[in-house]
Amino acid sequence: MRRSAAVLLLVAPLGFLALVFYEPLFLVLRTGLTQAGRFSLSAVRALIADPYYRHVIGFTLEQAALSTALSLAIGFPGAYLLTRYTFPGRRAIRSLTVVPFVLPAITVALGFILFFGNNGHLNRFLMLVFGLGHPPLRILYSLSGIVLAHAFYNAPIVTRIVNAAWEGLDPAIDEAAVTLGAGRVRRFLGITLPRLAPAVLSSAALVFIFTFLSFPIVLSLGGARYATIEVGIYTLTRTLLDYRLGSALILLETVLSLGLAYLYLQAEGRRAVRLRQERKIRPIPFFAGGPSLGRVLLGAYVLLAGVFFLGPLASILADSFRGAAGATLDHYAQLASLAYSPFLGSSPLRTVANSLIIGCGATLIALPVGAAVAVFSVRSRLLGRRIVEAVLMAPLAVSSVAVGFALLRGFAGPPLRLSGTLVAIVLAHAVLIYPFAVRALRPALEGLDPALVEAARSLGVSRVRAFFEVEVPLLRRGILVAAVFSFALSMGEMSATIMLARPGLTTIPLAVYGLLSARQFGAASAMAVVLIAVTGIAFLAIDRLGRGRGGLEW
Amino acid sequence: MRTKIAILAAMAALAIGVGAVGSDKLVVYTYDSFVSWGPAKAIQTEFKAQTGCDVEFVTAGGAKATLSRLLAEREAGGTQADVFMAEMNEVPRVQTYDLFMPLSEADVPNLATVPPVLRFDPSGALVPYEYGDITLTYDSQALTPDELPGSLDALTDPAYKGKIICEDPRTSSTGFSFLLWTIAHFGEDGYIPFWRKLSPNLLVITQGWSEAWSLMTHGEAPIMVSFATDTAYQAASGDPLRYRAFAPGGEGYRTVYGVGVVKDTAHPQLAKAFVNLLLSRKIQELLPTTEAMLPANDTAALPSAYRTYTVRPTHPEALPLDLVARKMAVWLSAWERAITTP
Repeated sequence: MRRSAAVLLLVAPLGFLALVFYEPLFLVLRTGLTQAGRFSLSAVRALIADPYYRHVIGFTLEQAALSTALSLAIGFPGAYLLTRYTFPGRRAIRSLTVVPFVLPAITVALGFILFFGNNGHLNRFLMLVFGLGHPPLRILYSLSGIVLAHAFYNAPIVTRIVNAAWEGLDPAIDEAAVTLGAGRVRRFLGITLPRLAPAVLSSAALVFIFTFLSFPIVLSLGGARYATIEVGIYTLTRTLLDYRLGSALILLETVLSLGLAYLYLQAEGRRAVRLRQERKIRPIPFFAGGPSLGRVLLGAYVLLAGVFFLGPLASILADSFRGAAGATLDHYAQLASLAYSPFLGSSPLRTVANSLIIGCGATLIALPVGAAVAVFSVRSRLLGRRIVEAVLMAPLAVSSVAVGFALLRGFAGPPLRLSGTLVAIVLAHAVLIYPFAVRALRPALEGLDPALVEAARSLGVSRVRAFFEVEVPLLRRGILVAAVFSFALSMGEMSATIMLARPGLTTIPLAVYGLLSARQFGAASAMAVVLIAVTGIAFLAIDRLGRGRGGLEW
Repeated sequence: MRTKIAILAAMAALAIGVGAVGSDKLVVYTYDSFVSWGPAKAIQTEFKAQTGCDVEFVTAGGAKATLSRLLAEREAGGTQADVFMAEMNEVPRVQTYDLFMPLSEADVPNLATVPPVLRFDPSGALVPYEYGDITLTYDSQALTPDELPGSLDALTDPAYKGKIICEDPRTSSTGFSFLLWTIAHFGEDGYIPFWRKLSPNLLVITQGWSEAWSLMTHGEAPIMVSFATDTAYQAASGDPLRYRAFAPGGEGYRTVYGVGVVKDTAHPQLAKAFVNLLLSRKIQELLPTTEAMLPANDTAALPSAYRTYTVRPTHPEALPLDLVARKMAVWLSAWERAITTP
């Protein structure tokens, strides 16, 4: 790619990001690096010298590593199952895997407590079956509670990303190995796994960064004894109002997570494999053929994963029907009303509409911005492009507490005095979610053979037309994954929305919080069910939209 | 597919157009429960009738989050807020930032109905409008009255292992009041050892009151830090009185909520009229049943459920606000370190 084109490609997204994100974030961070108006590292040094913050940083890394490991362990077999086998409902399941990801932390925490809690359904079931006097499983309110909830959120990301990459692998190499007599395990370790490594690394890096920045889950399910860097940032900036130390901690956290992002981009860049998709892996029916050890193990996996994911979700569903005197539909009746609800600051229907409109708007902005950045990162030979890329990931890698602040400042003054408008929320969401679009589009772009575009160009087609007629159809899978994740992130976004919203601009997660704070616990569960249903339908629709034209399955 | 994208784009554009906002109304920054449950609607109607002006309530979550939003907006070039409502322990922060204009009875005639004991802010920047006591609440189906802790010290008894839920003082004003209560009771030298002993008995420290209440009502633990009006609130709503407030050793911690007028507001007279309306008997009498708080206006009548069931601590604990202002950061940091390190 020509240098000028690479620079041009960056101007639009960078300008946008600089305006609403980097400049305000810089103002937030600057406090941590100045003392009496001059540059100083004393606040950062003070933090590192303090054994308490060293302990906090250590614990943050520890729980993120454990959470990533468990997410991979749960998510990877799921990707295998979805790639290798067909079974009834496979496509729906693949679409719905992202649902847990959109749920507000408070809902996931509630679902976990209802299901895995000391008095939860699982414990009561086990006590009944085994005639126990005490709940046998005490897994919440400790490190295991945090790690489990993180896996609930993030294992589906692993499944989705790895599955998409796996389906793109050309089976020819594998088949060649079969003819050479290589066994299944050897083929998997020697051929499949190395080719999947970028996707596995990519999902692991995302999961690590997400769990590294986790805040509400740590407080809700971690019991009394845990603090992450994000909790520390909250304390310093919101409660103690020590902006200097707070900014220094934000800075430290950002450097750590961007450093991780950079390392991963380096690794991914080196491992990138060009995939010419002549053929696809042909999945075989799961229920055909005799029971083998593999099928039995996968069956056991499905059962356990089913309990793990559906248990908390079903508990929320059950809770939404729980009334003071038995089962009731009251909570839904309350939500079905079109009238203004003081608990929501809006009508329930309007709330759902807001979430959908913001989700669509943010996705439509995030896709082109993400595409521009992805094209840049794949095609550019610019020196230091990995560093530019890592910096462009920042919205994903910076504390949500800090981002909320930065966005508020970004929209509160000129030139974008938009605070409290729907536009501000759409733009804020777009900023927060576009790194996802980049991540999802990048592998697809890497697999694209530039010769195809060159062929089209040599036939006299304009570059723009070649993009829409050649590249976009070939990138459909990546675009879809990007759209699903972008939309999902927007639907679940809380921390920036709450800082920017005004009455009437309620989104579904805000409504869940509003109902909870008003002691409307049943209605809050019902609203969470609405969120699950609406996003589930949206994901199915996005997948269906993408399958529209051509023979490609997505 | 492209037409579908075009339709989505058109939808988004339309929505963006609709999202534009008007300007001439009084903007009140408050906490979420005041808007959702509180008398917000009644105030809007009454204020419109009295002044012809609309009131818009804006919240960023709890009181702490809303104050953070106000501060960040001011720093970034100006806030739309005309009026702000907060818990009294926020006063230290408020005074640091010099956010509100001092109010007197000349500005707000109804202030005369507020007894001196509630007037927590001598500068008049925040005017008290409601109060309550932080106490403990228990699940009467899990514990009998004999099994309740008779004092704060008794909470550390191994019998309560994993049975207590409290709120995080860093994120919740209820949690912060409880921390202040333990400091008032055990002294600055004694509260950290107390919390270290209490730690094994805490099932979880939640982000806010709602989560804690949700946990208790789903049977996860039988005791939580909550409000002295809890029993009364259930009685007024016609619910069975399963969760009952109690004051261990007759103690509790007083919490007062205050309202202030933002200094650079464009509508100072309307803002003062709002504060006066908030303190009026009519609105004050709505506070117990909507907010589960007690009216600051001592001429306001209490509903009978509140007269019967509100727990009145015989030895309420309190700390001087200027001491809280000076020591808040030190106390919270010490607490954070004690609770999260072995």
